[in-house]
Amino acid sequence: MAATSPQDAFEAYAAERLPPAADGAVGKEGRLDAAFAAVDGETRLVQDYATVPFHLTGGLDHDEALPDLATVYLQSPTGAVAQGDRHDLSVTVGENAKAHVTTGNATKVHGMDRNYGRVDVALSVAADGYLEYLPEPTILHADARYRGETTLSVADGASAIVGEIVVPGRLARDEAFEFERAYTRLQARDPDGLLFEDATDLHPAERDPRRPGVMGDHDVLGTLYVVGDAAADPLHERVADATTARAGATALPNDAGVMVRALGDRGAVSGALDAAWDAARRTLVGAPAPERRKD
Amino acid sequence: MTDESPVDESPVAALQFADSLLPAGSFTTSYGVEQFVAADEITDADDLQALVETYLDRQIGPCDMVVVAAAHEAASDGDHDELRRVDRRCSAAQLPAEFRESSTRTGGQLCSLVAETEDAPFLAAYDETVEAGDAPGNYAAVLGAVAACTGMTAREAAMVQGYSFVTDLVAAAQRVLRIGHTDVQRIVTESRPAIVAAWEANEDRTVDELSPFAPLVDVLSAEHERAERRLFLS
Repeated sequence: MAATSPQDAFEAYAAERLPPAADGAVGKEGRLDAAFAAVDGETRLVQDYATVPFHLTGGLDHDEALPDLATVYLQSPTGAVAQGDRHDLSVTVGENAKAHVTTGNATKVHGMDRNYGRVDVALSVAADGYLEYLPEPTILHADARYRGETTLSVADGASAIVGEIVVPGRLARDEAFEFERAYTRLQARDPDGLLFEDATDLHPAERDPRRPGVMGDHDVLGTLYVVGDAAADPLHERVADATTARAGATALPNDAGVMVRALGDRGAVSGALDAAWDAARRTLVGAPAPERRKD
Repeated sequence: MTDESPVDESPVAALQFADSLLPAGSFTTSYGVEQFVAADEITDADDLQALVETYLDRQIGPCDMVVVAAAHEAASDGDHDELRRVDRRCSAAQLPAEFRESSTRTGGQLCSLVAETEDAPFLAAYDETVEAGDAPGNYAAVLGAVAACTGMTAREAAMVQGYSFVTDLVAAAQRVLRIGHTDVQRIVTESRPAIVAAWEANEDRTVDELSPFAPLVDVLSAEHERAERRLFLS
């Protein structure tokens, strides 16, 4: 029997050469670096380096409940990952700084016949810093091959809320689980080493994702990682009571915090993660989640 | 028989460590089946069979068996630090809290037991590390080390892990679901190829490539943690 770990499978995809790009084609290797620092009691975006297709808004939004938090929107005019794309994002939050990073719209992973698309995200939070990284969902179109690797490094006293929602196709046109392969992984570390890791590993043609215990009857999977001094019970009650998603919370390994998992339709899963975000934010920084400004 | 070629007892050791007589406390573990039954997600033997296959394909194969094999290799090399690394990696990838608790509780019991019963200083030393809180003592990591010290191959150790998992799960199911002995044996029989397949699909993986993926199990486990009435720890 073929022994293909997801890593091996993507290595094989990587060997597939891309068709020659049209003259002037740019953006296959998009890069974005953002760094936040606490300055005079507020948080400023002190570094902002972006190559096509990325653009970062300045501090557009003012969070009334958390005046020392900077909010930025990571924008991509294409809003997409195509075959051969390698996107590399890093967000660094300095000591005592507070930042909220999100995207303007969903990331669509297009169908592919060669190679694959990959997005690496490196999140780093210094001592007593706070980061919310809550991008809009990733939508896996038919024949997409997608690999996402996210690392989160937290220093002593740092905390972070990181969310991920995976939508398995353009559901409104009855496209679901028609992508080829999707593997996303989050690894979280502190100065002592690996705190926890979580992988989403879907290869629908080989293994039915709608099996009992995997996705069941559900389409959309959402996960919120709350890293810091948070308890699971209040988050569980919040997501179990407040939403129509099948959702629950559990304590992460190594006393790292709490994970919330939610399955359901897109609205229900987003609602569950928003509710958990609000509850976690009240615990970590003593403020409710603001209204979304982009709907 | 000479001292240089001791008799191969490893097949008997494999039976010993796969036997429900082994006092590791695995009867406290239902792998979430209790909650699946309580939530009416499992109502008969067919549903149970499907869940067993999901576990073997999505949890036992790409996580537990990889840990068993890596722990086996570490113990074969006498590498205490590597075993601890493998053990910690196992904890980091096991996200439902009650699964971790079950795994370290049963693993700790197995480790204390073999520290007494096996003539293997490596296991006794590892038991001290677990007792001191310097290693989590996950069942898969301890089992892999025990298997190496009793002459089993990594493959045999993975079979022991897979078989023990299936019998623990169906034994738990028998206590919460109306299901007969014949159905139970049918599930075990039909799991045999799935256990082998779980190993063969993952035998080349390293512990840096663990990818258990059963999100609905995670959610039901979170519900089970908070269930008012429950027989099982997980």
